[in-house]
Amino acid sequence: MDREIFLQKVIAQFVDLDKILSFESNFRENNSYDSLTGMTIMVMIKDDYGIDITENEYRSKKSIAELYDFVNQNKKQ
Amino acid sequence: MKAYINGISYYLPEKILVNEELSKMHPEWSVEKISEKTGIYQRHISSDNEYSSDMALSAIELFFAEHIITKDKIDFILFCTQSPDYSLPTTACIIQDKAGLSKTCGALDFNLGCSGYIYGLGLAKGLVETGQAKNLLLITSETYTKLINKKDKTNKTIFGDAASVSLITSEPNDDYFKASLDKFVYGTDGSGFENLIVKNSGIKKHTKKSINNYDENGDYKSNDDFLYMNGKEIFQFTSFEVPLLINKTLIENSLEIEDVDMFVFHQANEFMLSFVRKRCKIPEEKFFVSIKDVGNTVSSSIPIALLRAINQKKIVSGNKVILAGFGVGLSLGATVITFE
Repeated sequence: MDREIFLQKVIAQFVDLDKILSFESNFRENNSYDSLTGMTIMVMIKDDYGIDITENEYRSKKSIAELYDFVNQNKKQ
Repeated sequence: MKAYINGISYYLPEKILVNEELSKMHPEWSVEKISEKTGIYQRHISSDNEYSSDMALSAIELFFAEHIITKDKIDFILFCTQSPDYSLPTTACIIQDKAGLSKTCGALDFNLGCSGYIYGLGLAKGLVETGQAKNLLLITSETYTKLINKKDKTNKTIFGDAASVSLITSEPNDDYFKASLDKFVYGTDGSGFENLIVKNSGIKKHTKKSINNYDENGDYKSNDDFLYMNGKEIFQFTSFEVPLLINKTLIENSLEIEDVDMFVFHQANEFMLSFVRKRCKIPEEKFFVSIKDVGNTVSSSIPIALLRAINQKKIVSGNKVILAGFGVGLSLGATVITFE
C-alpha cells in the first residue's frame, strides 16, 4: 500500500485546501476541514481499501499517518 | 392503460428563515459556510398554526387554480407525510372533506420521507393502471421544522417546509406536460431506522422526559422528542446505495446512462447531491439541483425540482428522466418517467 497515494487520496477530499497537508499534520485543524470532509474520507477508505471504519475509530486518528496505519493494518488481516 | 403525471403544483409557507438569521442564532457558523456547504440560502417555515393538512390544502387550491381539471373528477388521494395532523384519523380523510373532493374518493396516508414521492408514484401507477382510479392526486406535505429542536443548528439549516400536488391520470390533458411512469426500483434497510428518527413520536415511547443530549464539545446532539439525524450514517447509506439504485433502475428500464436526459434526485443538500452525482457518473449538465431557496423539503423536494426543471425547459417533450428518492427508513426508490 503506497503511502503517498493514500496521502493524495485524503487530500483530494478537501475542498479549497488552504495549506499543505503532510502525513504528520493534524488534518482536522485545516480551515477547510469539516464533518462533511470526514464523511468523504470515510467513504474513500471503504471504496478504495474495502475497510469499514467506524466513526469512533475515525475520530481517534489525529493525523493522516495514523489513518494510514489503521488502513494498512486492517487491510493485511 | 397507462398512468401519466399530468400536472404539479406546490406550496411554500410565507415565513422564510435566511442564513443570516441562522448565523445570528449560532455565531460559530458563518453565512458563507452555511451557504457554501449546503447550497441552501433560505428555507420556508410553516407558521405555528399551519399543519401538514393546511399546507396540502393550500397546494390543492393552487393546483386547481393552475389546471383545468375540476375537483369532482378526482377519485383518489394519496397523502405522503410524516407529520400528520393526528395519529388517527388518516389526514387524507380530513383533506378530502376540507378540499371539497367527492365522497366517492378513496383516500389514504402513507408514512415515508425523502423516498415518499417515488413510492407515491408507484402506488398511483398501480391504482390507475388497474382501473381503480382515473384521476389521482398524489399529495406530499411536511412540517419537519416543527420537529426540530431550537438548538439543532444542522437540521434547522437543512430542512424547510413545503407541500406539493401531482395529478396522476389515465386521461391526460394535452395542454399540460405529460410524463408516463415506467419501471420502478425500490429498496429498504430498516436496520438504519434509528439514524433518522423522532423517538418519542409514536405509541412506543423510549423516554419519559425530554432532555437535551450534548457531545463532548458541548454541541447539541439529540433529544428524543425531536428529529434526530445521524448525518454520517445517512451520508454513507446514500453514498453506497444510490449508485446501486441508479444502476438497477437503468437496467430495469433497458437504458444506458447516455439515454437519460435528466436526473432529478431528492434534494438533500448540495454537497451530498454533488458527491452522489459524481459517484453515479452523471454529467453535471444532466443533473438538476434546485435547493437554494427552499432547502430540503423531504417528500416535496422531487416534485418541486421536477416542476422547476420543466418550467426552465431543462426537460422537454421526448425526454427520459430518472427520479430518485432516498432517506428516512432507511428507504429508497427510483423510476424513469418519459415525457410525451
